Amino acid sequence: MAARRFSWGNALTVLGTVALLLGPIPAAGNSISASVRDSAGGPVVDAVVYASPTGGAAQGRPPRNAVIEQTDRDFIPFVTVIQVGSAISFPNRDPLKHQIYSFSPAKPFEIKLYSGKTPPPIVFDKPGVVALGCNIHDWMEAYVFVVETPHFAKADKNGAATITDLPAGRYRVQVWHPDQRSDAAGQEISVGPKATAHAEFAVDLITRQRKPKPPFDPLNYGERLPK
Amino acid sequence: MSRALGFPLRFRSLAARIVFFFVVLFALVQLAAFVIVHAANSRNARANIEQDLAAGELIFKRILEQNQRQLEQTATVLAADFAFRAAIASNDRHTVLSALHNHGTRIDASVVMLVSLDSMVIADTQHPTMPPRPFPFSPLLENAAVSDKASGIVEMADGQLYQMVVVPVFAPVPIARIAVGFLIDDKVIRQLHELTSLEVSFVARRGSAPWRVLASSIPEELRPTLVQGLPRDRVRGNVAFSLTMDGVEYTGRLTPVAHQQNAEIVAVLQRSLSSALEYFNKLGGTLLLLALATIAISIVGSIVIARGIVKPLNALADSARKVQDGDYTTALDIPQQDEIGALATSFNHMREAIAEREGQILRLAYRDSLTDLPNRALFQDRLAQALLAAKRARSPLTILLLDLDRFKYINDTLGHHVGDEVLRRVGARLHDALRRSDTVARLGGDEFAVLLPGVSVDGAAELAQKVLHALEDPLQLEGQAIDVGASIGAASYPEHGEDAATLVRHADIAMYQAKRGTTSFVTYDDSFDQHREAHLSLLGELRRAVDQNELHLVYQPKIELATGRTSSVEALLRWQHPTRGPLLPCDFIPFAEQTGYIRTLTRWVLENALAQSAELHPGKRLQISVNVSAKDLVNAELPAIIEEVLRTHRIPARGLCLEITESGLMEDPGKGFKTMQALRELGVSLVIDDFGTGYSSLAYIKNLPVQGLKIDRMFVANMETNSRDHAIVASAIELGHHLGLKVTAEGVENLKQNELLRNLACDEGQGYFFGRPQSARALRSSLGGHEVRIAAGVVASVE
Repeated sequence: MAARRFSWGNALTVLGTVALLLGPIPAAGNSISASVRDSAGGPVVDAVVYASPTGGAAQGRPPRNAVIEQTDRDFIPFVTVIQVGSAISFPNRDPLKHQIYSFSPAKPFEIKLYSGKTPPPIVFDKPGVVALGCNIHDWMEAYVFVVETPHFAKADKNGAATITDLPAGRYRVQVWHPDQRSDAAGQEISVGPKATAHAEFAVDLITRQRKPKPPFDPLNYGERLPK
Repeated sequence: MSRALGFPLRFRSLAARIVFFFVVLFALVQLAAFVIVHAANSRNARANIEQDLAAGELIFKRILEQNQRQLEQTATVLAADFAFRAAIASNDRHTVLSALHNHGTRIDASVVMLVSLDSMVIADTQHPTMPPRPFPFSPLLENAAVSDKASGIVEMADGQLYQMVVVPVFAPVPIARIAVGFLIDDKVIRQLHELTSLEVSFVARRGSAPWRVLASSIPEELRPTLVQGLPRDRVRGNVAFSLTMDGVEYTGRLTPVAHQQNAEIVAVLQRSLSSALEYFNKLGGTLLLLALATIAISIVGSIVIARGIVKPLNALADSARKVQDGDYTTALDIPQQDEIGALATSFNHMREAIAEREGQILRLAYRDSLTDLPNRALFQDRLAQALLAAKRARSPLTILLLDLDRFKYINDTLGHHVGDEVLRRVGARLHDALRRSDTVARLGGDEFAVLLPGVSVDGAAELAQKVLHALEDPLQLEGQAIDVGASIGAASYPEHGEDAATLVRHADIAMYQAKRGTTSFVTYDDSFDQHREAHLSLLGELRRAVDQNELHLVYQPKIELATGRTSSVEALLRWQHPTRGPLLPCDFIPFAEQTGYIRTLTRWVLENALAQSAELHPGKRLQISVNVSAKDLVNAELPAIIEEVLRTHRIPARGLCLEITESGLMEDPGKGFKTMQALRELGVSLVIDDFGTGYSSLAYIKNLPVQGLKIDRMFVANMETNSRDHAIVASAIELGHHLGLKVTAEGVENLKQNELLRNLACDEGQGYFFGRPQSARALRSSLGGHEVRIAAGVVASVE
């Protein structure tokens, strides 16, 4: 449990960091502010909210690359949302090797055990869910949600996600979460100029027990590592 | 004795009862112990079985669970294998199948199925060609969805039992599940059986269909029996049951293992009672052996104890039997120190005491206490024995009967102590004089008997002389010499009799003959006995004589010698026997005396003599003399009888004179004395008859209340020729006169005797010279002429 709380705590910290990084970007313009709740009314952290323009393809935007690092034997962040064609690099911050694999049809790949030098980024060219794992650390888990639209956001610890810089128009807004039982119903929202549209989402989550993460270096191996 | 009579009677023996009691007691105790222990054992055994079953069930469940955990673990590890996951993720059917197969083989799985997240069997190693179908054990999937892994025992379509484990395949999210099945075959069951020590079976049924055995440690052929013996009700929780298979009793329980739709799979755990009871049965066997051994020991022990009691008892009984048979010599030898030993000792003392007392009794019975010689009984016994021996050996045998002469006189004059001593000395002399093989016995009084085996009639006289010779020397007693004479009668076998009684009787007759005669020893002669027999036959005739008036009296006068007058008459009894003619008293009086008939005769004589006295001499009463037997004097009523008779005939007592023979008086001098005294007081005259034949002493006569004595005719008869007899008669007359007695001489037959007697101053005479005995009538008519005749005699003598 402690390990998991630690994990989540860690994740939140990272999220916070990401939020800070993303926060200043949509300085002005249209936005959608979504609140994602589970069936019990609790906030659904890491829920992905994305909006697809109902009339045709979204405006072209250059894909933005992302980073999923391995820190203290966890993938950080837990959920990453990218637009199709974006690349993700996997820097290993741990003093040990990690492997990365995906058997997901959207992007099956494998990065063999490595440490130190970050391998070349992986380009995700199909939309879908890509579940990542580490072959030697079964509890390590991360999800890459590849969407076609550039308009997306990830819920913070309060279950709140805000999509900014939306061109005015009508959007189909959908929610996704790794633990969802099924796809939640999307909502069509019109976004006016300089306005913030609000949307409420309820997600039915499966209670999944994550594989426990053992304490680091139970054999006191770490003590002997160079600091 | 009872020993020979078989069991029912044997049971009466103490030993048998003791043995029976102890053995039955021990047997009952052992039986009770055995039953109790056996019951307890049986209970224990069943309790043990329950425990075994409970423990076995626990182990069974634990093993199943561990198995499942282990299989789950194994399956989980398998599912986590990267290459395996890669293969699964490849979605290539052939790749998937071969990976399933390959990795399944690694963990010894019997079947591996790939189940999609929507519960479809996508690949199945057992049925590789089968199109996708729903996974038949949905509960497992449901469980696996919750806890990532699930396992259970299932029956597959092939009718076999599998332990099925379902684990997800993570990539890293679950992308599918694999179901790994491990066949539960008999080999697995055997392992279970070995670990639990129970018979293990898995049975299944659908609804209420019969049970089917899926796998079992029970041999194939017994399985139908098992199926039939199982409860039919639906199994909810543990169900206990018991059944018998192949004659072996089992107890067990059913434990539900799985339940899918309406199909049940149940584990049957059972344990044979016999295997559980085996130890207890062994214990029971040991107990039984112990019981048998105890009973055997109790049999032996109680026999030993019973012997210890009964053997001495039998010895006691045997000894008692010997004592009963008269054998007092065998002493009991029982060395025991207990009560039985004490009893044996007492018994020995008792036996000795009895022996001693019997000896005394025998002595009393067969010995004469005075002389310590055999008595009459022993003599007769020995005589009988000797007769038997003599008959066998054809040898002769003689008996002597010996009677001391004048013994009564010795007794009366010198006292009984002298008499007793005389008898003792005589006995001793007789004993010393004869052979040891001869028997000298004292028959009673002064009568002795001698049994002489092997002595013939010819040798009898010699031995009799030897006896007489032994008695010749006078006995020296209290300073005086006592002469002892004896009369001996002899009778010999076979001449004088064949049996003891006859011989004794004949010897007795001979002895009396000797006593009566002049010789001291007489051998029996048949003529004696004929005489005696004549006597015997007289008894009846004598009675008839009294009744039919065959008796009559004759009278003989007594003459006063000085005057020639008849002073009195003596009544003499005569018997006119119808065939034998006239009989004298000496022919029948001794017999009458022996039989006691003398009393009747005496009375008859008294009655008739006194009745006739009036006829004898009318006007002048004559004194009538009547002979009285010494036996009459024993009769104390005699004076009363005489008084009555005198009164009847109105005759004064002085008119009656009673004559008693001297020898009769001397036979038993003391006896008649009182009677004589009474008669004398009555006023009756008493006279001693036959004086000189009875050896009476002067001292004796002096004391007798008599008034006269009659000198025996034997002396009178020869007085004219024999100066000795004359002297005897003279001294007798003188003696009588000195004692103040009237002296009468009997048997006066001639004038010369008459003269001599008169000269000797004899008071009276009696005899043919004065008159023969004649009838009362004849006497009466001639009485007047007596004086004439006497006078004539006087004249004649004068002439």
